Amino acid sequence: MSNSAVSSDSIPITLIGGYLGAGKTTLINKLLSHPGLPPGTAVLVNDFGDINIDESLIRSESDDGTVIGLSNGCICCSISDDLSKALDALREMPVKHIILETSGVAEPLRVWRHCHYPGFIPKAAVVLVDASNHAKRSQDKYVGSLVCAQVEQAHLLVLSKTDLNPGFELNRLTPQLSNQDPDLIDTLLEWRHIDETSEIASSSSLQPAFRTYTWHQAQDITQALLTDVLSTLDESVDRVKGLVATEDAGLLLINRVGDSLNMRCYRQSAQPEHLGLVFICRSSRSHEMHSAASGLGTSSIASQIARLDAGN
Amino acid sequence: MLTLYKARSVITMNPSMPRASAVLVRDGNILEVGEPERMQPWLEGQQFTVDEQFADKIICPGFIDPHLHPSMAAVLLPMEFITAMRWKLPWGDVEPVTDPAAFDARMQALHHSKPAEEPLFIWGYHQLWHGEMDKARIHQVSDQRPIIVWHRSFHELYMNDPAMSMAGIDPAQIKPGLQIDIDQGHFFEVGLGFAINRLNPWILAPEKYAEGLRRLKQVVHHGGHTSIGDLATGMFNLDAEAKALTEQLEGDDVPFRTRLVVHGTRLTQGGRKPEEGPTMAADLLRHNSHRLSFGHHIKLFSDGAFFSQLAQMQEPGYIDGHHGEWLAAPEELERHIRAYWHAGYQIHVHVTGDLGLELTLDILQKMQDEKPRFNHGFTFEHFGFSTPEQIPRIKALGAQVSANVYYLHELSDSYAKSGIGYERASQMARIGSCFAAGINTTVHSDFTMAPAEPLNSMWVAVNRISHEDQVMGAAEKLTQQQALEAITINAAQTIGMADITGSLRAGKRADFTVLDDDPLNCDPMALRDIGICATVFEGRVFPIP
Ligand SMILES: Nc1nc2c(ncn2[C@@H]2O[C@H](COP(=O)(O)OP(=O)(O)O)[C@@H](O)[C@H]2O)c(=O)[nH]1
Ligand SMILES: [Mg+2]
Ligand SMILES: [Zn+2]
Repeated sequence: MSNSAVSSDSIPITLIGGYLGAGKTTLINKLLSHPGLPPGTAVLVNDFGDINIDESLIRSESDDGTVIGLSNGCICCSISDDLSKALDALREMPVKHIILETSGVAEPLRVWRHCHYPGFIPKAAVVLVDASNHAKRSQDKYVGSLVCAQVEQAHLLVLSKTDLNPGFELNRLTPQLSNQDPDLIDTLLEWRHIDETSEIASSSSLQPAFRTYTWHQAQDITQALLTDVLSTLDESVDRVKGLVATEDAGLLLINRVGDSLNMRCYRQSAQPEHLGLVFICRSSRSHEMHSAASGLGTSSIASQIARLDAGN
Repeated sequence: MLTLYKARSVITMNPSMPRASAVLVRDGNILEVGEPERMQPWLEGQQFTVDEQFADKIICPGFIDPHLHPSMAAVLLPMEFITAMRWKLPWGDVEPVTDPAAFDARMQALHHSKPAEEPLFIWGYHQLWHGEMDKARIHQVSDQRPIIVWHRSFHELYMNDPAMSMAGIDPAQIKPGLQIDIDQGHFFEVGLGFAINRLNPWILAPEKYAEGLRRLKQVVHHGGHTSIGDLATGMFNLDAEAKALTEQLEGDDVPFRTRLVVHGTRLTQGGRKPEEGPTMAADLLRHNSHRLSFGHHIKLFSDGAFFSQLAQMQEPGYIDGHHGEWLAAPEELERHIRAYWHAGYQIHVHVTGDLGLELTLDILQKMQDEKPRFNHGFTFEHFGFSTPEQIPRIKALGAQVSANVYYLHELSDSYAKSGIGYERASQMARIGSCFAAGINTTVHSDFTMAPAEPLNSMWVAVNRISHEDQVMGAAEKLTQQQALEAITINAAQTIGMADITGSLRAGKRADFTVLDDDPLNCDPMALRDIGICATVFEGRVFPIP
């Protein structure tokens, strides 16, 4: 808390990660042409031989945004560290928020650490997942472990190319959106990863516009209970997604956007790794958020979740 | 004007006539290697001198380091070395400093030897030998003079208070999370980038850089080299580097030539397509001068740094379960390789781990399927880890190997204990197998990653002794003959200069390294201590004091 003044001066950085071709640049282009893009948003692009000429692509879309090209740090040494240089340069500019497209082979966590650079603060690690080939790529001999690490380290997952593979499901208890989601850009711009131990979590001026809750399923429940809970949720709940094991209806794939609830049977030979639900809640009323931030116990969503665990 | 150099013995590296006793030279080129009495037809009616200064010495083909980094060296060489390993430098040997007290004593001595306000940059610190470092420890040497202590791996450094104020680092600005421990004056990984950006005015100042290159010139000469490869020209900035290299490494007083191999992804960075690379690289040939030449060579990168355990490993990977890193997505590497392969280039790929090697082999296989090429010179650079099965693949695909064999000496003990286990650590630089398979194989220093002393590389390759005095992977030892081939003719082949140097025969440049003892008959353990009394570059003698 003593550092909150320093922290609120720091420029937040949103990372856009994901493997080569996952749709990072496409997403950033969408973002740059979004009417609601706040002034002072700068884009940093890692262009180390990317298949798409990211930098020029982005430039043609928007003349206003500040775009700086980067390349990976030098191999044999760290004497030439482009990201540090770019951040030092941006500190001199009237920049309020940075969107950083990482290289396709970057692990978000490593870049995340870099974003603690003096004057800056990491905000969220968004990772794109290519629905058309994630299943294959996550098994790849060369990049399988990298692609899995990218997904594991994400705070928000964005599924791309679902048009090419509509049935794709990513079994993770990490908040996820589709890149076709109408609220995608607004959500992305406001998404903030809360690390409960950091000062920002308690600094009221920096309250997030989103809050997520994750329910890890420990034992089977009834479909009736699940339906009941999902249809009586607090109105601040924007999205619910996940996979739930029920006593009477087997595995159910849950997808609730706004008021529309989609629940269907899920059949796969392999037992899913992650059972449970992710709730994304949006709030414009800061006092409510404040109470939400101060602990799950006081919020109505938390008590809904508790019902799932109690089985009644 | 003809000169007849007589020697105790001439080692030719020409397999058809391995030994001789004299070399006849005209205008920097060899007319004949052999016995003086058979050279009469050349001498008939000509003016000539008989040069006996090497009469009791051994003349070898000029040594070649096919992979080092003049630009990196230029940054490092103006600094003071305090290292656990010995480094022979022209301005004096750096004796090993292997305990904390000796490190402090050496810092003190350096401090007292410098003018008052000059900042002191020290390189070579390693906690394994030198104990924990921190700001307070540096302050015991001086809290007035800026002192920067750089880790041997380059990936971290320590500064005292005066150094921080010199660099304009305000401790109040530093918050937790960044990899800086401000109370200890410790900057690492990301924090290092922050520190370096502020130290750059001192590190990369043009006059410092020029001074560094002048020192490099001495280092290369003292190592006995007559040719080197700069294996990533443009790593900082192509234009600036090319200009500085021309100023410092061209001219009559420079006793070696440099093959410049441009950093491929830097070349096309900033939105140029890899497919434009071959034309851009060919355009660089316009800048070629007598000693500095680009060729149809390109440098590309597969997996991460060896020193940081970021090499990509096949199963069972690292003991602690971490993964290495790709320097480019495999698809990107393939796209770059394809562009240069089809354009007929010799491609040098940085590979450190056996998975990085496997990927690059797979790509090379694809290229051979698409467009078969012979004598393409595709080179695996560094070649840290490999599997026995990869050796025949390298051979079958017509590729060659340039190994940093010094890793074995410096790192195999620690990799055995805290990296990948003894079996694989002891088999790094699997070059005995490469020779057995008939692969053109050379060794390099990657200077400043290892000392630029070919005799030292030879010593490691022949003895395979780790710094803890253990023989590592005895079955992969080279013979003295093989190791000398590695640093001469095979190295020349790798940098595309075997037509002019690398062995002694009629028609090649008169490039010699003159030794006090015979490297093929001496005690193998004495190899790295053989005295080098001179080099001859294109017929001109450059004594080594
Ligand atoms: N069909 C489809 N193609 C997409 C989608 N998102 C991106 N792409 C295409 O995928 C390719 C790679 O996208 P890009 O944004 O450059 O990926 P990056 O490497 O992650 O920056 C481009 O050709 C895009 O047009 C998507 O949602 N659906
Ligand atoms: Mg991109
Ligand atoms: Zn190198």
